[in-house]
Order: sequence, then C-alpha cells, then structure tokens
Amino acid sequence: MKNSKVKISSNNLNVYYGNKQALFDVNLTLNEKEVTALIGPSGCGKSTFIRCINRMNDVIEICRVEGSIKMDGMNINDKGVDVVQLREKVGMVFQKPNPFPKSIYDNIAYGPTIHGVVQNKNQMDELVENCLKKAALWNEVKDRLQEPGTSLSGGQQQRLCIARAISVNPEVILMDEPCSALDPIATAKIEELIDELRKTYTIVIVTHSMAQAVRVSQRTGFFHLGKLIEIDTTEKIFKNPGNNMTQDYITGRFG
Amino acid sequence: MTKEERIKKRYRAEKRFKFYGIISILTALLFVFILVQNIVSKGSSAFFRTVIQTEVNFDKDALGLGNNPSKENVLQSDLFDFSVENLLNIYPVDDFERENEILLLFSPDYEIEIKKYLANNLDVIGQTVILELTSSDDIDQLNKGNFPRELPENMRRVSDFQLEVFDKLNSENQISKIFNNYFFSNGDSRDPELAGIGGSLMGSFFTVMICLLLSFPVAILASIYLEEFAPKNRITEIIEININNLAAVPSIVYGLLGLGILLNFMEFPRSTPLVAGITLSLMTLPRIIIPCRASLKAVPPSIREGALAVGASKFQAVFHHVVPLAMPGTLSGTIIGLAQALGETAPLILIGMVAFVVDVPTSPLDPSASLPVQVYLWSESAERGFVEKTSATIMMLLGFLIVMNFIAVYLRQKFERKWN
Repeated sequence: MKNSKVKISSNNLNVYYGNKQALFDVNLTLNEKEVTALIGPSGCGKSTFIRCINRMNDVIEICRVEGSIKMDGMNINDKGVDVVQLREKVGMVFQKPNPFPKSIYDNIAYGPTIHGVVQNKNQMDELVENCLKKAALWNEVKDRLQEPGTSLSGGQQQRLCIARAISVNPEVILMDEPCSALDPIATAKIEELIDELRKTYTIVIVTHSMAQAVRVSQRTGFFHLGKLIEIDTTEKIFKNPGNNMTQDYITGRFG
Repeated sequence: MTKEERIKKRYRAEKRFKFYGIISILTALLFVFILVQNIVSKGSSAFFRTVIQTEVNFDKDALGLGNNPSKENVLQSDLFDFSVENLLNIYPVDDFERENEILLLFSPDYEIEIKKYLANNLDVIGQTVILELTSSDDIDQLNKGNFPRELPENMRRVSDFQLEVFDKLNSENQISKIFNNYFFSNGDSRDPELAGIGGSLMGSFFTVMICLLLSFPVAILASIYLEEFAPKNRITEIIEININNLAAVPSIVYGLLGLGILLNFMEFPRSTPLVAGITLSLMTLPRIIIPCRASLKAVPPSIREGALAVGASKFQAVFHHVVPLAMPGTLSGTIIGLAQALGETAPLILIGMVAFVVDVPTSPLDPSASLPVQVYLWSESAERGFVEKTSATIMMLLGFLIVMNFIAVYLRQKFERKWN
C-alpha cells in the first residue's frame, strides 16, 4: 500500500471479440503483493481484462488484443514472449473449480512436472505438501492424496485449484470469481487464504460481491461497459468514490 | 374444458405415449427373436458333422509303403485303392454299381482323411483301427433328419440301396455326430461337408487388422487436429461437412474406388485382405472421425483452461488431458467402426473377394474370402449342407459383432472418468 511497487500496468488496452469491442482504453496498474479487486456489472469486461494478463484470450479465436500490458517493465503482448513462460509466472483460478480428473497429488504435481522444476520423487512430495499447506488444504487431504481431485467438495476443489496454481511458483495469481460457486463457509476459507497468499503473490480477483472486495482487497477497480471507471484504494472506493456511477453501483442502485 | 378435464386429458396422453412406446419395443424384440430363432434353428446343426465308423486294416502289404515309412512318405503315397477296399468292407457287395453307391456315402476326401490319420499315427501299421470318416453331405443331412426320405426314389439324391446301408449302419451304431472342426479349420469347398469358414475367418481377421492399422491412427490424428488445433475457417468447415458426407456414402462406392484405384491403377493383388483392408479403411475413416471428434468436443473446456493456466502448452494440454479423457469414446467409436467394416459385403464383392478360395490364407497378400462374403456365396448354393452353413456363418459373424460391441461398451464404462 505504501511505497507499493507496480507489478503490472496496462496501457490503452483495447480488446475486441470479432466486431464487438469489449474493453476500451483500459489503463490500470496492479501493485506487487497486494490484492486488487475488480468489480462491476456482468459483461463489463472484468474477466476479459484479467484473461489478458495471462493471455488466456489467445485461446479464443475471434479475440483481438491491442495496446500493451507491462509486467515488470516487459510488454507481455510482444511477439517474442512465450505464452507458456508467461503463464508459469501468472497463475489463474477459475470461476468453477476445474481440477483435473486425476488424483489430488497429480493435480498439484502436473505443473511442476511439465516445467521440470523438481528432480526426484522426494522433492515432488515436499512440493505437493507445501502447496497444499499454502492452500490450507493439507490437513483435509493428507491421508487421501491418491483419491481423485473431483471427489472433493466444491470449496476443497477450489482450494485444490489454488494449490495447483501456486505449484509452479507464480508471481501473480488471477482469480475469476473464485467463490461464485461456493457456499459462505467455503467462501470464508478461500478469503482467509487469499489474505494469507497476499504476502507472497500479487493477486487480482474479479468478484460480484462488494463485501468480498472490501474484505480481501487493498485496491479496487470499477469497470462499466468495457471502460475502467476508476481505481483506487478499496477504502476510498467504498467510502468516497470519485465517480457517481461507482457510487450508484456499490450502493446497489444498478448492476 | 375445465381444469380437471385438462389434467385428465394430459394423463391420458401420457399413458397413450407410454403404451405406444412399449408396443414398438415389443415389436422390435419380436422381430429380433424371430431372426435369431430362425438362424439358430437352421444353423446350429452345422456345428456337427456325421461320421461313419469304418474299420481300416493298416496291413503292411496292402499299404505297400515298405518298412518304416516316414510321415512324408505316407502323405505323398497313393492310398486310393487301399482306402476304397477298406470302405467297401462296411457293407460287402459284389456289384460295381453298388460299390460306387457305397463309396458315395462318404465324403470324397476319405483317402486324405485316412492318410492324415496314418501319417500322425505311424505305429498303427499292422493293426486294425476303427476310424471316424466324414460322411457325404446327403448322409449328413439324412442323419440330421433334414432329408426327405418319403420322396419317391427318382426324386431324391439317395438311392433306396443307400438308405438300406445307412439304416443298417445306423442300427449298428456305426453312424454318429461329432463336433465339426472342419467348419472352423477348412476353407471353402464344393462339398458342403468339407466346406468351412477357416479361410474367411482369417480373411476377415487380416482385413479388419489392416483396416484398424490404417484408419485408427489417421482418424485419431485427424480428429485431434481438426478439433483442437485447426483454425476455424471456411476450409476446415468444408472439410468437416465433407467428412460427414463421406460417412453417409454407400459402401459400394468405396468398393468402386478400391477397384478403380487399388486394383486397376496400382495393380494390387486381387481378392486379397490387403486391398479389402485399404478399401474398408477408407470407408471406416469418416465413421471413426465423427465419434472421435464428438468425444473430444465433450471434454469440458475448463479442463483445457486449467492445463493452459498452469503453463502447459497447447500440445501438452491436449495430449495430457483432453485426449486421455476422450479415449473411452474414441475407442468405442473405433470398435463400432471396425464392426461395421467386419460386416461389410458390397465393397468386397467389387474388389474380387467373392472368389472361390479353398486355401486358408496365411498372409494378407493371399487371396481370401471374408465372413459376410462367405455368407453371400453359400446363400446362393442349393445344397442343404450349405443352407445350414450359411446360417452358422451368420451366427459366427453376429457373435463377433456382439463381442466387439461389448468390448466397446466395456471400455467406455471402465475408462470413463467423471468430471465435476
């Protein structure tokens, strides 16, 4: 918060899906080791924006991205940037928990395996344990690591996905409405976890819940119709927003 | 109409619909039952053959093979007269015509049967052994009760004298039914009692194997590329439409293709499982690609995204996650496609697999028949022996198809993993 170092900054970011423009000149900075919440009504471009950060939009054929996103000073949209390396640094947690239909252990071990991070089985065991501990899941699953990841409850699955995301030791974690499919207790656990993870990672979270944004984030950005209306400290946005639209949205007058 | 009436009407409609459904299922089952019953009742007797127990005296002098003949010596020797003499002993007569009629009770291969027995049991020389020699087709049918004895003599193929001999042998328990191993080991023959599906079984096996080896890898790679990697544009759209159209092309058209290109232009050997396999793999390709693509499409995109998000390349995401998940559907689609290929007749007729092939093929380059073509060939023959063999071959073919379908279902259920 104070003297925060900028991790990621977007510059005049425009995104098109075919002929439809989804983002308009988004200029936004994300600070290191901070949680930034992105709020706004459905279809306002929050998810589109975070999917630009790990270039997940590349998968969508009709999607076109213009403008630059700089991470540690390097434009990730440059031709020379390897998407695989980028995604190693920028992990992502999705709206719906999507563990691989493999064992809990293999879910975590997959990333490190393909990146060749570990040399032997012992190191892998250690890494899996660490990731599960960081994701506050270890105690619940330590006796059944070989069971399928899909056999866990929704909240556990989402924490497994978070563990999977941190298994490749990223610098940034993107979370696309990670709690929208979860009940309040599971949500509380995830929020606690996010607070903990903030010490190590830069986190961006898209959420529809104002309360959640207030609880977990230090800075909040408000999107509307593809434009970034304003971004400021969470405290300021919710107590004294600079824009009327933000005021209307957070007080539930529209959206 | 009151509300109550409307509700009653709704219930009646539902009941009516259920009733129609049950009726149609029962009708379908009835036809399946009639079909199976018909085939089994006609064909099951083909799994047995009638043999006549014949005393054969392997007298050293009568054989004329000298001392200690080797296996080869026996197989190359001429034992025709020896065999005839022994056969005639079952009912001694002194009329040449009658002798001939007695010989006709046996299948024309009696000399070979005796020779083979001797070659495998060289120590019987000097002894008298009772051999089970295959009877002729007419006696076989007579024994199985399919022969119209009550017809006047000039209208049936077995003379009164032959009937007399048969009845005498039968009353002395010299006629018996044994398992028909010839049916599984022999190739085709003009004599129904010697004809078997051994040749067409091997032919079908080689054909389906070649079809599998050619179509499976191509279909899998094509569907993975089209589904996961290919850009979605006009060209891939046209390819997709054409694959769907090709799957609906009548199979005989592929036969024409095989005839025109493989036989006439490339001059591959005619009537061989090689050509049949290539032709059928062309036919099977689109039929495998379609279920493969469907099962790839059924893998939820969230799995791909999850893999990509931990830094897997597109290739890794597809081959580590999507393809294994699509495997059950892919495999069962392939097996069903091969089962269709196994039952295909029309294209094989065009590429010359209708030839009359006596030898059992030992490689895909030997001329051969295949099971469905064998059914087609035998169904044109008038002999009663071939009628039962036709049904028995259909039973075998259906058996293989059922087994393949079961494997498909098993694979699908065993490897299908649930997500979410």
